[in-house]
Amino acid sequence: MLGLFGTLNLASRSLQTQMTGVEVTGQNIANASTTGYSRQRVDITSSPDLTTSAGQEGTGADVTGIQQVVNSLLNNQIQSQGSTSGYWSAQQTALQSVEDGLDEYLNGSGSSSSTSSTSSSTSSTTDTGISSQLSAFFTDLQSVATSPTSVSARQTLIGDAQTLAASFNTINTKLNSTTDSLNASVSTGVASANKLLTDIASLNSEISSAEASGGNANDLTDAREQDLENLSQLTNITTGTDTNGSVNVTIGGQTLVSGNTVNDTLQTYDSGNGNLLVRTATGQTSLTLSGGSIQGTIDARDGTLATLKGSLNSLAGTLITQVNAVHSGGYSLTGTTGSNFFTGSDASTITVNPALVSDPTLIQASGSATAASDNSVALQMADLASTAQSTLNNQTFSDNYNSSVASFGTALGDANTQVTDQTKVATMLNTQRSSTSGVNIDEEMTNMLAYQRAYEASAQLVTTVNTMMGDTLSMKTA
Amino acid sequence: MRVATNSYTGSMLNQFNNLAYKQASLQSEVSTGLSVQAPSDDPGAMQNTLQYLTETATQKQYGSNIKTLQTRATSIDSVLQSLQTITSRAGEIATSGASGTSSQTDLGNYADEVNKLINQVVTAANTKDSASSQYLFGGTAATAAPFTTTTDANGNVTAVTYNGNSSVNQSEIGVNLTTSVDVPGVNTDGSGARGLITDQQSGADLINHLISLRDDLDSGDTTTISSTDSANLQLDENNVAYQVANNGVVQNQLTVAATFATNSTSNLNTMISDTSSANMVTTMVQLNQAQTAYQAALESSVKIMNLSLLNYLS
Repeated sequence: MLGLFGTLNLASRSLQTQMTGVEVTGQNIANASTTGYSRQRVDITSSPDLTTSAGQEGTGADVTGIQQVVNSLLNNQIQSQGSTSGYWSAQQTALQSVEDGLDEYLNGSGSSSSTSSTSSSTSSTTDTGISSQLSAFFTDLQSVATSPTSVSARQTLIGDAQTLAASFNTINTKLNSTTDSLNASVSTGVASANKLLTDIASLNSEISSAEASGGNANDLTDAREQDLENLSQLTNITTGTDTNGSVNVTIGGQTLVSGNTVNDTLQTYDSGNGNLLVRTATGQTSLTLSGGSIQGTIDARDGTLATLKGSLNSLAGTLITQVNAVHSGGYSLTGTTGSNFFTGSDASTITVNPALVSDPTLIQASGSATAASDNSVALQMADLASTAQSTLNNQTFSDNYNSSVASFGTALGDANTQVTDQTKVATMLNTQRSSTSGVNIDEEMTNMLAYQRAYEASAQLVTTVNTMMGDTLSMKTA
Repeated sequence: MRVATNSYTGSMLNQFNNLAYKQASLQSEVSTGLSVQAPSDDPGAMQNTLQYLTETATQKQYGSNIKTLQTRATSIDSVLQSLQTITSRAGEIATSGASGTSSQTDLGNYADEVNKLINQVVTAANTKDSASSQYLFGGTAATAAPFTTTTDANGNVTAVTYNGNSSVNQSEIGVNLTTSVDVPGVNTDGSGARGLITDQQSGADLINHLISLRDDLDSGDTTTISSTDSANLQLDENNVAYQVANNGVVQNQLTVAATFATNSTSNLNTMISDTSSANMVTTMVQLNQAQTAYQAALESSVKIMNLSLLNYLS
C-alpha cells in the first residue's frame, strides 16, 4: 500500500512525466519547419507494481526515454536517390549553360496568326546560330558565282564569312569558359564534401559519447543524417553503422570516415588537359564516382561538352581546309592566286584572310588567270555546301552541324527528363519520410492537450492527497 | 496516411513551381508561335527545322540567282533584237547592191550606211550588263571591252580585235541544275556556246562580213556582193536568229526554275511550320488549363494553410 506519502510521490512523478511530455511536444512544434528534423516521442511506462495483501498495486508512471520516430530504410533510399538526383541536376545545369553558349535557337514571328488555325505562320522563323551563318556563307558564294565581278557581292561574302568565323570563335570561348566553370564546380564540390566528411566524423564522436551514457542523441543524429544526405548529393556514398552508433562513410571504394576519424579526404587533380578529376588526398587513389553532382559535372564536361567542342573544331577545321584548297587554286579579279580564304585551324583560330577583308577583289573566284570574270572556283566553293566530307562522318557541313546540335539537344533533353523524374521520386520519398518522421501540428496539439489534462489531474491528485493529509492531521488535534 | 505539417509547404512549392514553369513555357509558345525553340525542346524537330531553314536559304539563293540571270538575259535579248534589225538591213542592202540596178552613188550611200551598221554592231557587242557592269559578250574575260576596232584615215572600221574568250559561266538555278545565259562574242573553237559575232559552227562573222560588204559596195563589185556577201550575211542573220531562240529557251528555263524555287520555299515553310510551330488552339487551351490549375492551387493552399486545430482551441 502506497499510503498518503507514496501517493503524493506518485502524483509528483506524474507531474514530471506529463511535464516531459509537454516539453517534447514543444520541441516538436518548435522544429515543425526544421529541415531534416525527426519528430520525437516520450516513452512512458508504468512504474513497478507494489505487492500488497490485496494484490499488485500500481505505483504510477515514469519517462523511460525520448525516441526519434525514424525509418532507416527510407533514409537510405533518400541518400541513394540524392546521389542520382545530384548527378542529373549537375548535368542539367552544366548542359543548360552549354546550350546558352551554343546560341542555336529558333526565333518565331509571334502569335500573329489566328488562333482558329491549327498552326501559326512560320515564314519568319529563323535561327540564331552557326547553321544560318553557314548557309549564308555558301549562298553568298552562289551570289559571287552568279555575278563574279560584282564587288558588292564579294563584300557581302566577306562580311558573312567574318560573322561565321566570329561565331566559331565566340562559341568556342563560351564553351571553354563553361569548361572552366565546371572545373570550379568540381573543386567546390570536393571542398564541400571534405567539410561534410569532417562534420560527420565529429558528429560520430559526439553521438557515441552521448549514447555511451545511456541517452539518445536524437538531434545530433538528425544533423548527421542531414550531412549524409548533403554528401550523397555531391557523390555516391556507402554507409555502415558501428555498434556505438557511429556511421562509416565509403566513397568510390575508399572508406574515408571510420567512427570519429577522417581516414582520408578528397582532392582534385589535373588529368593532364586542365580538366579536374577526383582522388583521395593522402592515398592519391583516383576515384571512379558513380553518382552525385561532382561526377555529373565531370561527365557533362568530359562527355557531351567535350564532344560538342570536338565537333565544332572538326567542322571549323574542315571548312578552313576545304574552302582554302579550292580558293588557293583560283584567281582574283586582279589575277593573283595562291592565297587562302580562311586562316587558322579550328574553331578558336578561324578568321577570314585579312588581305581579302581589305580588298574583296582578291577573292579568287576565277579558274583562269586570264579570265577575271570566270566563276568556276566560286562555284566549286559554293558546291562544298552539298559535298559530303569524309572528316565529318561523310556528312555535309550543315548536316554535320545540325546532327551535333541534335545530339547535344538529346543529351540535355535526357538530363531534363531525368531531373523531372528524380524530383518526383524525391518528392515521393520525402513525403513518405514526412509521413513517419515529420511533425503534424494538429497531432502535437492533441498530445499537448492530453499531457495538459493529465498534468491537471496529477495536480488535483496532489491537492486531494494534501487535503487528506490535512484531514489526517486534524484528526489528532480533534 | 499521416501528413506532416511541413510537407504541405514542400508539396505546395513543388506544385507552384511546376505550374509556373508550365505557364511560362506555354506563354513562350504563344508569343513566339514556336513549340520548339532550343535544341533540348525537341532535338529531332530542331535538327529537321535547321535542315529545312538551310534548304530554304538555298532555294531563296536560287531565286536570287535566277533574277540576276533573267535581268542579264533580258539585256542580251535587247542586244539580239537590235542585231536582228542590223543583219536584216544589211541583207537588204546586199540584195539591192547585187541587183545591178544601183548607180555607183547609190552603192556609195549603201556603203556609208553599212559603215554605220558596223559601228552599231561594235557598240552592241560591247554592251555592259546594267546590274554588274560586266560586258555581256566577252565570255569569262569580260572585264574589258570585248571588241576594239582598227580604223583607217577616214575613221572607217577596217578590222576588229576580240579581247574576250569563248567560255561562259554556269550558274546554279536548282539542285544539281546549272544554266548559262551568257553568249561569247567570238567562238572559233567549233564547240561550246556559239559566238555572237563570230562563230565557227555557224560560219557567222558579222563585222568582217559587213566590212567586206562595205568595201565591195565602195568598189562597185556587185558580183562579189551577189556571190559571197549576201550568203555570208545570211549566215550572220541565221546565227543571230539562233541566239534569239536560244535566249528564249534559257528564259523559259529560268521561269520554270523560278517557279520551282518559289514552290519549294513554300513547301519548306509548311514543313517548318509542321515541325516546329505551336498549335495555337491546343496551346491556348493548355495555357488556360495551366492558369486555372495555378489559381486553384493557390486558393486551396491558402485555405489549407489557414486551418489547424489551433483555430478551434480556446
